[in-house]
Amino acid sequence: MKVGRHVFEIRGLSLVRGSRELFRGLNVEAVAGSVIAIIGPNGAGKSSLLMALAGMLEPVAGDCVIQDQAVGGYSKAELATFVAWQGELPPTEFGLTVEQRLNLAGTGDVDSFQHVIKEMDIDALLLRNLAELSSGERQRVEIASVMLRDCPLWLFDEPTSHLDLQHQVTCMKMFRTEAQKERVIVTVLHDIQQAASVADQVILIDGKGGAECGDVKAMMKAEKLESLFNVKLTTVVLDDGEVHLPDYH
Amino acid sequence: MNKIKISGFVILSFVLVYIALGIGQAWINPFFPASAMEQTILWELRIPRLLIAFAVGGLLALAGSWFQVLLGNPLAEPYVLGVAGSAASGAILMLMMAAGSVWLMSAGAFAGALVGIVIVMAFVHLGTGRLLLAGVVLAAFWGAFITLLLALMPEHDISVAFAWMMGDLSDSDIPVAVLLIVWVIALVYGLFLSRSLDALLLGEKHATMLGVDVPKLRRVLLLLASFVTAIAVTAAGTIGFVGLVIPHLMRLVFGSLHRMVLPASAIGGGLLLMLADAASRSVIAPAELPVGVLTAMIGVPVFLWLLLKKT
Repeated sequence: MKVGRHVFEIRGLSLVRGSRELFRGLNVEAVAGSVIAIIGPNGAGKSSLLMALAGMLEPVAGDCVIQDQAVGGYSKAELATFVAWQGELPPTEFGLTVEQRLNLAGTGDVDSFQHVIKEMDIDALLLRNLAELSSGERQRVEIASVMLRDCPLWLFDEPTSHLDLQHQVTCMKMFRTEAQKERVIVTVLHDIQQAASVADQVILIDGKGGAECGDVKAMMKAEKLESLFNVKLTTVVLDDGEVHLPDYH
Repeated sequence: MNKIKISGFVILSFVLVYIALGIGQAWINPFFPASAMEQTILWELRIPRLLIAFAVGGLLALAGSWFQVLLGNPLAEPYVLGVAGSAASGAILMLMMAAGSVWLMSAGAFAGALVGIVIVMAFVHLGTGRLLLAGVVLAAFWGAFITLLLALMPEHDISVAFAWMMGDLSDSDIPVAVLLIVWVIALVYGLFLSRSLDALLLGEKHATMLGVDVPKLRRVLLLLASFVTAIAVTAAGTIGFVGLVIPHLMRLVFGSLHRMVLPASAIGGGLLLMLADAASRSVIAPAELPVGVLTAMIGVPVFLWLLLKKT
């Protein structure tokens, strides 16, 4: 990993959703060129952390600082130049086509547009209505919409949840190559193998108020993950590292 | 492709204007009126009235498309959601309290429309079903309220009641020129917002992440939709379904982006109401049908069809 400039910093962040405290005291430093995976059980606050980074959820304590200023201090228009977000699928009632949806994400650059639709394998879908697509196809369109935005920070919320294996691999490879372009990619992932192989840092949110961030090797230890998800894992040692497999019996 | 569609739309528009000018109690050739009498009818009766119909129809269609984005629901429309009714209630209330002043009536309609929209907005998060149900009930309430006001009016005039409740283009309280100017301003301002409106089609969060100040845009849309509904209602009473049918049709033809939908709706809504008005003058000539009857006859089946299609 190339050590570059800071893209964002999270200082002592505590988040509350409704009346429930999600976690407190999270610290993260993100340098350009890195991928950060967020891992944790359902409802722990992974998406909320992305929302806080995107300026859509006000923290109860602490700050998310992008380029020396707290996220809340930027206007929405300024923030849009720093951060791109892939979260919920947009509604389909108004009959947008894939091409129109992508154009709303911005960028008039024809080359990068062509590159992105090829990479996400949606070039054949451009004229289709969003409502006619499968969830996997729609998810690829959403990933592409983020890729079209040349921001230093990309946020992904379970980008591979509907993707087939081929496109999951494409997406993980894309994260590695795109991070090289002086970006930080923060992504919520459920697949611990994907997280272990793509991330430089991992944020673990335990759903009981705790959250920590650390180097991928230190965080993706079997003991940590077993207690995080309350499962048994079998560790297989391979040439290039360890793989943790859940025990289904 | 778009060029062909636009050319087709323009040609169709001219044909429709020709027809709307021509038909009536007697057919008049708009290019060659046969007599001085026909010339007078054309220029002093038909053209001003059709211009009112055009402006009001265009405003209703614009208001409809803004409602749909504001509420995130393609079935939203001032009449269906009872907002036309609340605007009419406000206008009639002002008419009773400050008889004669068009501007106070418009202000009353504006306040009424705002109240109507704010009530409706409380139901948005509950989904289409409850939103429409709330709209139906609110429309019934405002309808009853208008009937109450009319019953309390000193000179109870049944034709006034009809004008407010079913729409009437024969006599606009607002001058034609003012209506046309409002039409232009509303369209231009809408186009100015079109990029943000497009982003809002993706939902609130996506729009925010694209740099749109969503709460501010909502406030602007709320005021704009209320203002335009108020002007249309003051001029012509409550006319339903133009704001529903036209934006939907235009989206089917031109796609969902507002730089196309808004101008096409402003013109398409105008044309539809011109035709409806021409038909309402001709069907039982020399008597006239309230134009709202015709738009409801067209609009209700379309609305039901859209409801069926959605599920």
